[in-house]
Amino acid sequence: MSMVQALNQPRQEPTEVDMLLLWSVLGLLALGLVMVYSSSIATAEGSKAFGYQPAYFLIRHGVFLCVAMVAAAVAFQVPVKVWQELAPWLFLAGAVLLAVVLIPGIGRDVNGARRWLPLGFANLQPSELMKLFAVLYAADYTVRKMPHMHDLKKAFLPMAGAMVVIGGLLLKEPDFGAFVVIISIAIGILFLGGMRARLFAVLFVVLLAAFAILIIVSPYRRDRLFGFMDPWSDAFGKGYQLSHALIAFGRGELFGVGLGGSVEKLFYLPEAHTDFLLAVIAEELGFVGVLVVVGLFALLVQRAFAIGRQAVALERLYPALVAMGIGIWMGVQSFINMGVNMGLLPTKGLTLPLMSFGGSGVVANCVALAILLRVDWENRQLMRGGKV
Amino acid sequence: MARARSHRYTESPVLQLAFPAWRSRLAALALLGGFAVLAGRSFYLQVINNDFLQEKGESRYRRELEISASRGRITDRNGDVLAVSTPMRSIWAIPADVKLTPEQSQNLAKMLEMDGRELNRRLAEDKNFVYLKRQIPPDTGERIAALKLPGIHQNKEYRRYYPSGDMTAHIVGFTGVDDKGLEGVELAFQDQLLGRPGFRSVIKDRRGQIVEDVGSVKPPQDGKDITLALDSKIQYLAFSQLKQAVDDNDAKAGGAVVVDARSGEILALANWPTYNPNNRANLSGAQLRNRAVTDTYEPGSTMKPFSAALALEKGKFRFDSVINTAPGKLTIGTATISDSHAHGLLTLAQVIQKSSNVGIAKVAGTFPPEEMWTMFDNLGFGQAPKLGFPGEVGGRLRPWKTWRPIEQATMSYGHGISVSLMQMVRAYTVFARDGELIPLTLLKGDGNPVKGERVFSPQTVREVRAMLEMAVQPGGTAPKAQIPGYRVAGKTGTAHKLEGGVYARKYVASFVGLAPASDPRLIVAVMIDEPSSGKHFGGDVAGPTFANIMSGALRTLGVPQDAALQVAGSNAGKEAL
Repeated sequence: MSMVQALNQPRQEPTEVDMLLLWSVLGLLALGLVMVYSSSIATAEGSKAFGYQPAYFLIRHGVFLCVAMVAAAVAFQVPVKVWQELAPWLFLAGAVLLAVVLIPGIGRDVNGARRWLPLGFANLQPSELMKLFAVLYAADYTVRKMPHMHDLKKAFLPMAGAMVVIGGLLLKEPDFGAFVVIISIAIGILFLGGMRARLFAVLFVVLLAAFAILIIVSPYRRDRLFGFMDPWSDAFGKGYQLSHALIAFGRGELFGVGLGGSVEKLFYLPEAHTDFLLAVIAEELGFVGVLVVVGLFALLVQRAFAIGRQAVALERLYPALVAMGIGIWMGVQSFINMGVNMGLLPTKGLTLPLMSFGGSGVVANCVALAILLRVDWENRQLMRGGKV
Repeated sequence: MARARSHRYTESPVLQLAFPAWRSRLAALALLGGFAVLAGRSFYLQVINNDFLQEKGESRYRRELEISASRGRITDRNGDVLAVSTPMRSIWAIPADVKLTPEQSQNLAKMLEMDGRELNRRLAEDKNFVYLKRQIPPDTGERIAALKLPGIHQNKEYRRYYPSGDMTAHIVGFTGVDDKGLEGVELAFQDQLLGRPGFRSVIKDRRGQIVEDVGSVKPPQDGKDITLALDSKIQYLAFSQLKQAVDDNDAKAGGAVVVDARSGEILALANWPTYNPNNRANLSGAQLRNRAVTDTYEPGSTMKPFSAALALEKGKFRFDSVINTAPGKLTIGTATISDSHAHGLLTLAQVIQKSSNVGIAKVAGTFPPEEMWTMFDNLGFGQAPKLGFPGEVGGRLRPWKTWRPIEQATMSYGHGISVSLMQMVRAYTVFARDGELIPLTLLKGDGNPVKGERVFSPQTVREVRAMLEMAVQPGGTAPKAQIPGYRVAGKTGTAHKLEGGVYARKYVASFVGLAPASDPRLIVAVMIDEPSSGKHFGGDVAGPTFANIMSGALRTLGVPQDAALQVAGSNAGKEAL
């Protein structure tokens, strides 16, 4: 190729956003839609509550995805600075919603947990939104307290107080999964923001002790814990759900029984289209399918941290912490959900981000990733000498 | 305000230090490490430990479904079907799953031909499984299936059908509702007839619907067909003739047996009363009894030829040895034996021909008891014939050491000993087979003559056969047993019945005979229990029935004639010598 020709080539424009991140997110969303449909067909077709329509969950999840895309598109237009300004207010609004959901007559009760606010056309799950607000707020808080990070009283206690309130509301529902995710986000962001290592170590021990006490005191959580330790000892009682999830994994082998071929989804595995979606993926698409999902989440988390570090390099601390916070959120929640599916962690009500059925979750996840992409976009604009 | 704050901190160089890069690396690494653990765990579950998990899964949703096997058919020797299984349906329900509108419920009750209240009562039972109705026709089953009623299910099952009905009821027997043989050949050959159900392995969803067939199908093994020795034409003949005889003589019951003397095959076995195996409502014990096999009777004079044979065999008497039977009475100890007609001097042959009790008692009196007992034992008396029939009896033959002289005397003419008609036929095979006793069989043989156990010498038997021929000729007790075209050898029996240990004025009239006498092919025995229309002698009551059955059977089998079509002369028997 001659010099002239090379010069005449149209110049490769640098991409506007992180394409790896975008594709991994779209991949997870698409695979999620397919698997939600596959895992819910039998339940929907066989239940009066779902009008015996096989596509009941497919249609709803599809609508949620459309809403989420629109919300994400809107969120992408919002500068990160604006999110930072809004963060305390969003956090407050989230806390109010978490309180409202507990009011009898307003919050909707499903399977003994009051987690939903009926909006007529759909149900809003405030805890899903709260995860996003916690990221936005914790990042803002950390940035504000940065000069005092060595100071326990100034840096940690206010956040700890806020977490006690939020955590208390979440446990009241109860939504132990969201509690763990939000605490992880808050601590993770404080850690990244430079909170003293010794403090962090103490905090870690205290939290561990708190979890232990919580599990010992509450029979409901203790049972869940024991079910996870040995699902086969009470395989038709406490270990029922997990044992079926594990069977689904075993049946899948390397390449799976084929899309649509799951037996576990045929009324055996409860919550196949929500919390235990991965088990159906494992059965139908095999180890390869699970590896793809794990790999896409790992890529997503890696990109989130890469974007965050890029923001740090650009001295944009708030966007950096938001990006990494979203990475922690996605990473922790997907890790816990998949760990639960595989019997590595005690069963708790947590969905697989971007994939499981559920409107609030999908919308909140998509908005969060739109913000992550916005951080990246702003990084790229700044690197090109542009303004944000 | 927030913007100002943010701006200020981000530009502070101190904060750069407060935001150490290792922390974000550590956090990212921790999360990626977590994902690596997940991948490893998934590999363990799906590739390494999957056998254990799949086994657990199969124990939950893999089910073995039975594929019912059809019971073997029972046919006669020519392949005519005597018992066959036809597919039917049984309708059952899981009451908890059943939700019927009143119309549906009414409709279902109508299809099942059930009372609506009865149906509702069953559906209200607190069980996981109730039969609503069993053995309904398949087309009704299809129509019920088409209604798609929740909780109503059906199974394929079989119903046994007996085309020949009451005619072969006692031989074929019948099965219960679970395909289990309860009587007759159905019970005797249960193991062969019963099919081995096959299995197919299926995966069921949690609601019990079959999702897929998985391998390991074991095909059902249908039961083996049983081919009986029975010949339907001869059976029909024996059955209808017996029925006629019971009717004509106002008798209580009767039995008839036809046996092929070469093979021991039972060609016909008829009893009256009988029953319809296809509709067993209101069945009584009397109808059910296979008398020829399960009931014993004191045979009377049909026993005499055996003592005559023993006398010849031991050389104590010859064919024409003279015995004084005058004055028709004989007193042994305190008991007196009498003849129905006084005769005077008779040869041994005439004792059989005229059926003289006194004559044969005198002959038997010369035997040591052990010798006589051994003969009876060799003839199979006191032992069940081992046909495989349920309830076969061996009759009563007391040990010889307990015999008193009067008992030995009465046994020679068939009292004080009890046998079944089937045993009697078996014992008569010695006269048809030149001295060999052969086993009888219900099953069709391979066409070859069977080997027997020798009881008498051929010479002895030929002489006895000649005596038996004389008995059916003029001057004998059963001229009515003659058959045009064939030489017949046979013996009448007219026994008093024992009632509560006392001989009553009730009789069992019987006739056992073989033909053609020159080369016996068939043995026919007829027994009529309590004839009460005036006649009670075996020759009058059972003789004609014997003749009808025997002549028909011989013709059916195409047995060559051995006599002129006119009734043979009185010295025909002598020629056989």
